[in-house]
Amino acid sequence: MKDLSKSKLTRRKFIRGAGASLVAANLLSPYSWFRPSKAFGATEPELIIAEKGTPTQLLKAAMSAFGGMGRVVKKGQRVVIKANIAWARTPDQACTNNPELLHALIKMCYEAGAKRVAVWDHTCDNYQFCFSRSGLKKVTQDAGADIFSGHGRNVYKVVEIPKGKALKTAEFIKDVLETDVLINFPIPKQHFATELTLGLKNMMGALWDMELLHKIDLHQCIADLNTLRKPDLVVVDAIRILTTNGPKGPGKTEDPNQVMISTDVVAVDAYGAGLFKNPKTGNPYKPAEVRFIKNAYDLGLGEINLSKVRMKKVQGA
Amino acid sequence: MKFSFRRLRVLVQTLSFLFLLYLILQTAFPLEIKIPVDLYLRLSPFIGIISLFTQKEFILRMLPSFGVLFLVIILGNFFCGWFCPMGTAIDFFDRVLFREKKRKKPLDDQALRRARYGVFVFALAAGLMGWQLMFLLDPISLITRTLVIAVHPPAVYISNQLIPLLQKFLPENPLILSTSPLPVYKVNFLIFLFFVIILSLGVIRRRFWCRYLCPLGTLFSLTSRLRLFRRSVSAECTRCLKCVKECPVGAIPEEKPETYRQQDCLTCLRCTACPPKAVAFGLGMPRWQTAQGVSLSRRYLVGSIGLGLFSALAVKTNPLQTGSGRKNNRLIRPPGALAEEKFVSACTGCGECLKVCPNNALQATFLEAGLAGFYTPRLVPRIGYCEEYCNFCGRVCPTEAIRPLPVEEKRLVQMGVAHIDKTRCIAFEKDKICMVCNEQCSYHAIIGDERDDKKRPIVKEEICTGCGICENKCPVEGESAIIVYTTGVQKKVTPEPPEKA
Repeated sequence: MKDLSKSKLTRRKFIRGAGASLVAANLLSPYSWFRPSKAFGATEPELIIAEKGTPTQLLKAAMSAFGGMGRVVKKGQRVVIKANIAWARTPDQACTNNPELLHALIKMCYEAGAKRVAVWDHTCDNYQFCFSRSGLKKVTQDAGADIFSGHGRNVYKVVEIPKGKALKTAEFIKDVLETDVLINFPIPKQHFATELTLGLKNMMGALWDMELLHKIDLHQCIADLNTLRKPDLVVVDAIRILTTNGPKGPGKTEDPNQVMISTDVVAVDAYGAGLFKNPKTGNPYKPAEVRFIKNAYDLGLGEINLSKVRMKKVQGA
Repeated sequence: MKFSFRRLRVLVQTLSFLFLLYLILQTAFPLEIKIPVDLYLRLSPFIGIISLFTQKEFILRMLPSFGVLFLVIILGNFFCGWFCPMGTAIDFFDRVLFREKKRKKPLDDQALRRARYGVFVFALAAGLMGWQLMFLLDPISLITRTLVIAVHPPAVYISNQLIPLLQKFLPENPLILSTSPLPVYKVNFLIFLFFVIILSLGVIRRRFWCRYLCPLGTLFSLTSRLRLFRRSVSAECTRCLKCVKECPVGAIPEEKPETYRQQDCLTCLRCTACPPKAVAFGLGMPRWQTAQGVSLSRRYLVGSIGLGLFSALAVKTNPLQTGSGRKNNRLIRPPGALAEEKFVSACTGCGECLKVCPNNALQATFLEAGLAGFYTPRLVPRIGYCEEYCNFCGRVCPTEAIRPLPVEEKRLVQMGVAHIDKTRCIAFEKDKICMVCNEQCSYHAIIGDERDDKKRPIVKEEICTGCGICENKCPVEGESAIIVYTTGVQKKVTPEPPEKA
């Protein structure tokens, strides 16, 4: 008591100091202002849909509504974007990601302070032809990121899938599994074997033996392997989508010209399914009609019921 | 270091060999190099002449080889001594593996020296009948094939073993080293063995292959007999026989060192390291006369020609070559390949197409294509499939046995047709929805059966090109449940009109 009085720390001084330090801490950390309350975010996933505009405008609009890339990418972190470069097709055929959008996404990661961004995919066609024909290698390197293909087995890691129902073990790309930030970057397409390919299905491209899944049970395996690593962010490239002859195309395409952003891959897939018409019913797909979305929901990977999702539509231009 | 022609030649030979290695390494995606990657093969007039015989037409790509032949008339047999990568390899191993002392045993090589002319005449006669022996005898084709099939895969294997070790010393990110797909070839050991045999012949004499067997060297010998760049020995010669010892091909006879066999001389200029400086090279009038020719009797020549003609006939009447019911319907030729009979007579088996194939889909045959088709390329879909937008094999083929087609044309060439083995296919046998073949097919040639809901694959044969991606990716263990068979003749398929949105 004696010491304290000597330092002349009065009550008023203490309160002033404490207040100032709180304000300073808030000012110094650039992302803490617009972070929504944790409790709220956990109960109700959010989904942002941007429409109208160029790919870059769409991503920017969606991202600012989301709260900025800083919400997921912190300074000095490694970011892995799991893109879809599976086929040696040109960008206008909508079988691979939109190059402009990928470029904008990488740039945004760097602006948020990412140390290094890597784009990964285990391609189905020869990776060199996929990378060059899709135009994605060029834009990735232009944006200062690395592009990797899973053609060498040494980049994989054998992992157990404790929550998996059908798939118990898998060889998964190590970098995708262990990176600081994982961005799932799918392009929605019609798919003959699984009806559709969306965010959950996109993670199949991080596996060594993809054909094996067809042998077991494709839908359940897709849900199972998504239990391994939840993406920190899902950016859906629905600028142009493939509606027939998927996944390899070429087929009919449609231009919804949308970019969806969410942290919940099931919610985003549930919304994305509605972009396509179910040939059996003639109506847009209901989320539960695509079995892997349902299976993922059952595994507790996210919210399938869109009424429980905070949806927000924004305009790109 | 004192200048000597020996050192200069070693330098040029090494550079030439390294350049071949460089070209072979460049024989891969994206194939944008300005120099033709099959440059060395295009320089071999033996391939040029035999191709003229077998294909009955002039191949523009082989034009440089006749330029080499013309230069040989001026400079003598310089190609073998200075640039031939096979000669370089033989020179290197002759020095590393064998001691000159052990080769001292006298050898009357008249019969052996005659042998190479016999082999050459035999090859020409067989070539006229449409059976080319280039796959066996042409040194450029031989060294290229050996490097591609027997040396490249072990090199990739070793680097793949080293990469994970190397990765430990590198920062984990962003430097991620990936192993490369290991190229595999069924006939690799045979080709390696053949090469080892050729090298081990060096135990008898230096450059044994070049002196006594090589048909390209024989062709050069014939023309370099009329060489303009000639050796002359002045009266200062002391008969120290240093030049006899120096000569790598024994072209200077011991009993008369002032003369030489100009047809065998490699213009290596090593004999100019003469102590009294009596040896000189300079331009002179061509003379057919030589110090020591080989006595090619009429009987010997006629015999060689006859043997060549008859061997070619025997090979051609083999059931596999006649296509008489014993045809191998899994022998899928690369896209744009000539018709089978023409193809085997044009392909030199150099292995360029095997190296360039991005998916390791092309494999060298052994006996699958009959005796005429040794080491010719075939598509083995289970190992690799034909990439839709790739036309590399046609672009690197020196003899145009695989025609260089534009990509848009090549992707529509039908090499074969896929057939589903319903007793093994998961969709039929286990009632599972698999459809890997459907999703992989680039041409929508595999569709789902619409008669029920089970999504069973059906092949639309009229638009299937036989690229083999379905056979390659089929998840059934071992042999695929969907197999590509040849249709016999390659033709163009008409794709379904692209659907418009």
